[in-house]
Amino acid sequence: MPLWTLRGLRRGVVTTRYPARPDPSAGLLPTPPAFRPGALTRDLAERLATVCPSRALARDGDVLVFDAGACTACGRCRAEAPEATASSGEFELAATARAHLIKRIPVRPA
Amino acid sequence: MTGQGTTDLTVPENAEELRRTVTRLFGRSLHIRTLDTGSCAACEQEIRLLAAPHYDLNRLGFFFTPAPRHADLLMVTGPMVRAFEDAARKTYDAIPDPKIVVATGACALGGVYQPDAFTHGGVGGTLPVDVWIPGCPPSPLALLQGLLVAVGRLAEKVKSLDFSLNGTPT
Repeated sequence: MPLWTLRGLRRGVVTTRYPARPDPSAGLLPTPPAFRPGALTRDLAERLATVCPSRALARDGDVLVFDAGACTACGRCRAEAPEATASSGEFELAATARAHLIKRIPVRPA
Repeated sequence: MTGQGTTDLTVPENAEELRRTVTRLFGRSLHIRTLDTGSCAACEQEIRLLAAPHYDLNRLGFFFTPAPRHADLLMVTGPMVRAFEDAARKTYDAIPDPKIVVATGACALGGVYQPDAFTHGGVGGTLPVDVWIPGCPPSPLALLQGLLVAVGRLAEKVKSLDFSLNGTPT
């Protein structure tokens, strides 16, 4: 009988915590990009918005609006501007409101 | 979720109170119905993997059910094609209160498809979504985290992220 069965009988809880231990595959997952505000110009923000196939990026004045919910982590923005983007490494992105996924990243005025 | 006589199953009006009730009722036994509203099935692949031994969602007290009437949580994938709208509403109505709707994947969140003659471009306009799980497709780990956020066992993480690197430009 596995140990957790006994533990469950004793404590009345048979479920375990998440994650029980860090997942070894977590580092291999494609993740949405993160941006370097210092390296973002208006032109570059505009170009990133054009290159994004899923409408996750848009420029709003001096702000790059990044919708992490729409992002498919395709990597096209990272290929377009490797100096201004990097992998965020974040994949646990569940949100209780859609607005929580929309991020505003300041852009250096041109 | 069958009536035990002693459990109060009336739905409270207050949202915060409802959240607490849902957590109390669902915390460690939650039944999930998945609903494909026109997805490419990548999300389904990842959802299927949740039941595999590596992720094993049963250990966390989550179970898949084939019947909406047995479900507590509706996991919706795909951009909600218009032809499926009726069926989606019926599925939602068939789930007993209180219920949770989880939009899963970038299509369901409105990222990939624009609203047009064939699709709504997201499930938000058709069903009242409680938790949004981004990803294309979301990995099983992301799905597990989303389910735990939905029942209030994990705190939402993305709200505090800003997706900007504070290092100097290179």
